[in-house]
Amino acid sequence: VSTNTDEIRIVHAAVPGRVRVHVPPLYRNPSATLALRDLLTRHPAVTRVDASARTGNVLILSTASLSAADVLAVVRELLQDVRAQHPGPATGHRNGSGEVSAAAAAEPITPWHTLHYDAALSHLKTTAAGLSTDDARSRLQRYGPNELKAVATRPLSQIVAAQFASLPVLLLIGSAALSVLTGGFADAIAIVAVIGLNAVIGTYTEASAEKTILALTRFSVPPVLAARDGARTSVAAADLVPGDVIYLTRGDYVAVDARLVDCADLTVAESALTGESAPVSKSAAALVADAGPLAERINMVYRGTVVTGGTGVAVVVATGDATELGRIQALVTQAAQPETPLQRQLRELGYQITFVTAVVSGCMVLIGVLRGYRIVEIVRVAISLAVAAIPEGLPTVSMMTLATGVRRLRKEGLVVRRLDAVETLGAVEVICLDKTGTITANRMVAQVAHVDGRPLVIEGARIRDAASGEALAAGESLRSLLRIAALCSDATVTVDERGEPRVDGTATEAALINLAIALGVDVVGMRAAFPKVAHLARAEQRMYMTTAHVAPEGRTLVACKGRPDQVLSRCRSVLTDGATRELTHSERVEIEAANESLAGQGLRVLGFAFAEADGHAGNNLSTSLTWLGLVGIADPTRPGIRSIVSAFHAAGIQTVMITGDQSATAYAVARSIGLRPAGQLEVLDSTGLAGIPDELLSALVRRVDVFSRVSPSNKLQIVRALQRAGLIVAMTGDGINDGPALKASDVGIAMGRDGAELAREVADIVLLEDDIGGVVDAIAEGRTIADDIRKSVHFIISTNLSEILFTLGATALGFGVPLTATQLLWINLLTDVFPELALAVDPAESDVLKRPPRRADAKLVCATDYTRLGADAAIITGAAMASYGYGVRRYGQSGGASTMGFLTLTGGQLLHALSSRSDTHTAFDTAQPPNPWVGLSVAGGFAVQALAAFVPPLRRLLGITPVRLGDVGVSLGLATAAFVTGESLKLLTLRSLQSRSTPNPPVGTAPCTGREPSVEPEG
Amino acid sequence: MKRDFIFSSESVTEGHPDKLCDRISDALVGQYLRRDPLARVIVECAVSSGILFVAIRHGSSAIVDIPFAAREVIRDVGYDGDGFNARDCTVMTTFADIERSATDLVDEVTMTGEDIDRVVSRDPVTVFGFACTHTPSLLPLPLWLAHKLARQLAAASRDLLPELLPDGKTQVSVEFRDRRPARIHGLTIAVTLREPDDGAAARLRARIRDCVVDPAFADEEIVPDDHSRMAINPDGAFNAGGPAAHSGLTGRKTAVDTYGEYARHSGAALSGKDPSRIDRIGAYAARHAAKNVIAAGLASECEIGLTYSIGLSRPVSIQVETFGTSAIDEVEIERRVQAACDFRPAAIVRRFGLRRLPATRTDGFYATLAAYGHVGRTDIELPWERLDLLDALRSE
Repeated sequence: VSTNTDEIRIVHAAVPGRVRVHVPPLYRNPSATLALRDLLTRHPAVTRVDASARTGNVLILSTASLSAADVLAVVRELLQDVRAQHPGPATGHRNGSGEVSAAAAAEPITPWHTLHYDAALSHLKTTAAGLSTDDARSRLQRYGPNELKAVATRPLSQIVAAQFASLPVLLLIGSAALSVLTGGFADAIAIVAVIGLNAVIGTYTEASAEKTILALTRFSVPPVLAARDGARTSVAAADLVPGDVIYLTRGDYVAVDARLVDCADLTVAESALTGESAPVSKSAAALVADAGPLAERINMVYRGTVVTGGTGVAVVVATGDATELGRIQALVTQAAQPETPLQRQLRELGYQITFVTAVVSGCMVLIGVLRGYRIVEIVRVAISLAVAAIPEGLPTVSMMTLATGVRRLRKEGLVVRRLDAVETLGAVEVICLDKTGTITANRMVAQVAHVDGRPLVIEGARIRDAASGEALAAGESLRSLLRIAALCSDATVTVDERGEPRVDGTATEAALINLAIALGVDVVGMRAAFPKVAHLARAEQRMYMTTAHVAPEGRTLVACKGRPDQVLSRCRSVLTDGATRELTHSERVEIEAANESLAGQGLRVLGFAFAEADGHAGNNLSTSLTWLGLVGIADPTRPGIRSIVSAFHAAGIQTVMITGDQSATAYAVARSIGLRPAGQLEVLDSTGLAGIPDELLSALVRRVDVFSRVSPSNKLQIVRALQRAGLIVAMTGDGINDGPALKASDVGIAMGRDGAELAREVADIVLLEDDIGGVVDAIAEGRTIADDIRKSVHFIISTNLSEILFTLGATALGFGVPLTATQLLWINLLTDVFPELALAVDPAESDVLKRPPRRADAKLVCATDYTRLGADAAIITGAAMASYGYGVRRYGQSGGASTMGFLTLTGGQLLHALSSRSDTHTAFDTAQPPNPWVGLSVAGGFAVQALAAFVPPLRRLLGITPVRLGDVGVSLGLATAAFVTGESLKLLTLRSLQSRSTPNPPVGTAPCTGREPSVEPEG
Repeated sequence: MKRDFIFSSESVTEGHPDKLCDRISDALVGQYLRRDPLARVIVECAVSSGILFVAIRHGSSAIVDIPFAAREVIRDVGYDGDGFNARDCTVMTTFADIERSATDLVDEVTMTGEDIDRVVSRDPVTVFGFACTHTPSLLPLPLWLAHKLARQLAAASRDLLPELLPDGKTQVSVEFRDRRPARIHGLTIAVTLREPDDGAAARLRARIRDCVVDPAFADEEIVPDDHSRMAINPDGAFNAGGPAAHSGLTGRKTAVDTYGEYARHSGAALSGKDPSRIDRIGAYAARHAAKNVIAAGLASECEIGLTYSIGLSRPVSIQVETFGTSAIDEVEIERRVQAACDFRPAAIVRRFGLRRLPATRTDGFYATLAAYGHVGRTDIELPWERLDLLDALRSE
């Protein structure tokens, strides 16, 4: 590989210590980019590095000692290493013939939209007659097939491996190995079984979620009509090459990026790429400025879009990953997945436990040796104590909790693509709602009309007067208007086998025809009665379409629909209340005002007019017309969105709307859905957002409710800015352009039914029914999951601590080793696994959606928790010590005393499960939703314990002595006393918190999980 | 009272960040009123580097594309090149709602006398109007000249001196003898450049003299003489300007909007308020009265102060001050003013037609007020500059 480092150049170095360098080999080579960034970051004088594979630029911040030239030298040097290890597409990837196969990727991107189509054709060395088969074949070799790199799905092996990659599991494996070494085969087998079970549950859940999503997203591109050897040929989409001439007609999926050569009335739905829900009219003759965004390049068609009307001929300019869509996917593969709070916390907890385990076991051995016990004996006890200290149930617990949550959500129509995304949902602090497709249904519907000089509101098939709100019947003027709309339309209307009309056409025309049908206009009949004889399509200078139809008695009906001001200027008369009369100047002004006002509300407004004339069509198309009225069409908000938004607010989640609308329209929508129920609503016009410095944007976004005029690339910027502001961000989306933002957000939520393939593939959660309300359930689920994991963890820590304190304490105080290795393992299995799993599926507390989100950085166990957990453990330990002490007094340091301590300890731990169900409610609180599993696990635990006490073989295995009933009574009495003491302490703490807190304490806010704990917990 | 003194007034061009904010505020007020004459709207702007903040409190059925309108103003003013410009600046909008009361929804044109009484002042404010015989428009001469220079400077930045930003300041010092302007004591012009260029100083100074100063004084009686100090960027630096260099805020140039500090003015901003705000329209009504007093020949300098109190319709006090220049008794002038003018808020709105002006004028009316003064304008027809009270004031 040659290192042509001369290409590296400084883009910007005006500010000392800040150099932007263009490094061509990084272009479209994410792995090399990351590698170079990492290497640069390690350089002592470099303070920060930002590298982008999208542009090939690297921004290096360094201490002043490094000049721009030094930086360049460092980059050159490091690049040598990087290129050796990451031969990306742009760095040389040669095929056998020596041709650079990635020529297409390395080629500079030609701004096709700025070229005349003739220039484009000659640039591509092709003609309007297309390519020869041979030429196409050789080009296919050069550019590669027209396929997008599949978004990588995780292979099964990777999913399985991930199950073993947590520290607690690794520790368990280590413990099992140690047990084998010290002869505890049974212990080892038990531990390995638990590990295996965890892995199976985890793998199964994750793999099935992946499978579900894959089944949902498969999509194959149909063949395309292209010119080959001068003839129209159907060509597989994968075989298209730059230079091919393709034919587009309505309903076609555009499989390439192409420059239009010719088109007639071509409209294309680009919502998947640009987010614009209305189809865009295309023009082959237009030239667009270089900087024009995708949505404005009306002489181009792009992969991923769909032709909604008209026909066109276009020359392919880019295929496969070189298409705009492919580039977005490249962006997607670069946007890094942030680690979820749970991942982070479980890892941290793992470290803490490792430390505690090591220290405790060491102490145990040390104390044992000092006390003069047998070394092998004391090491076995120490290993058992280590196993007891490891919450081996933890991976199972989190997996179990998450899997249960995922299954529950699946039933409600939510597919979870990443297990821990649900948990992250519980910590979500801000949710970005993409207006199109999330707040609205992404479907055009006629909403208002203006006929007979008055505004009407249309709700389905009901009409209301906009001013008085009075319900009206569809008047003759409106019916006439809709009849004209039915005739003057490119939409096709067919009647299916059930007699239901089926409308096929652009969103706007379909909306009009649907309204006509809803109001009882016989569209099919009308079209048969008035056959179309002439048709004048919309054009650049003539923003309306006109059709002529044969009318009865040898007359001609001319129908006209289009931009209101232009249609109006052709009208001399007006149809009002069934009568035609002269159009006055004041009426014109009024209609124009109505048009402007409707357009200002973000509606797409069309004007309608007609004429009836004698004789034949042809020369009648330009006759003067009679005005009928206006219809305003819009993408309506989904029903119920308001209550969903208020549910988010009640749950302390900030809502942000992202829309392409202008700000006042966006403001009106935001108010109508209650985006901010009271106070000021902030709208940020996102034109030129890319120019705002990151720090400034991060400061701004915390207050913004609505981002208006957002273009696709802004979305990623917005999500990143919110994250930089320290917020956990959920983002909804349905378009291809949402991909990068969905991927970068902490929880990406895609629409499953109408959403784009790419959006579904990169999202963490897919809403099958496109119902955003599911997110509220998901958030409740996420919070419950975090709560449950916390409950389990707390239970495990306090009980495990009690056995450590008991064993260590008694040994240290010289009362002998109170519990044997087998007893410790038994306690561990009996009192940990089942209560812990039961706690893991604890139902949601009733106030789960009424409290602020837990902080993502809140620890599962924080300092104040340790105090409480320590107190809980001390109470249980105290009871066990008392019981043991009583036994020692009665029977001396023997099996009898050991047995009594053992019984009290297990009893106290089992009862503690009841107490662990809530931090804020006592176990006797009947308002709490019941959890039969906890009761069952506690009762079962006592039953098994009874077996252990009274069944001789088990008793022998555990090394406990037969006990008298009175001693059992003393043991269990002390265990119960520990439980009651713990609950009383909880009640006292809660009371003192309540009396000291504000009149409205945050309900159910456990210490250090709430956003702002209003009181200092007892310390 | 001092009879001989030097007085200076300053003005700024329409691209000065403070004035830019005023203009955007007023353009938006105009846009709302054009669509909804009964709109209640208060618009305040702040601009800093690349960001424009627009805070809107409104009660209106109208929907206005705020960033679009704001960008149009920025472009019109002349920020279209590199640096701060209409295309790239970010617009952050804050909306808050005002509930319109029943009286808010009644057009003043249809009001009866009692209705007008029911529309009370919402703000406690003292506003001033002033007129004097210095200039044909009855404005004080220092301000009049400062405005003329500023206007000429802005015009020059459009074509003759394209290297200038539309952000500049002017100041004119006039020597008064016996309270009459006698000569130009000095004038100062501060300009900013699109690209900082200290080397251009000498050439620019000469060009500004030719293209700005000379045309501004072309039809003036009093022109700079050989001893008049003429300073163009006297600190020597020809720096970049506009919002990229210094930030701006609505309502910070109230002296420029009124009488150049030659007379008193209220601290309340004029721009960005709909006609229901007495602190805006009261100032217009006071100027109207003062101007008519001067034109009627009752005095050669006249300041009229109106004090409004919350909850009252009529001003609690009307004060006339003629600085010893009145032809008749000041108390008599006060009586005649009170008889000739209805200072109740709704009456002012009705008299000046303040709600319909944006719809009837292509320039939106309010936006044109923002720069070069809300009073004494000769380039636009202002209702409060009409001399329609002369007969009423002259009759005894």
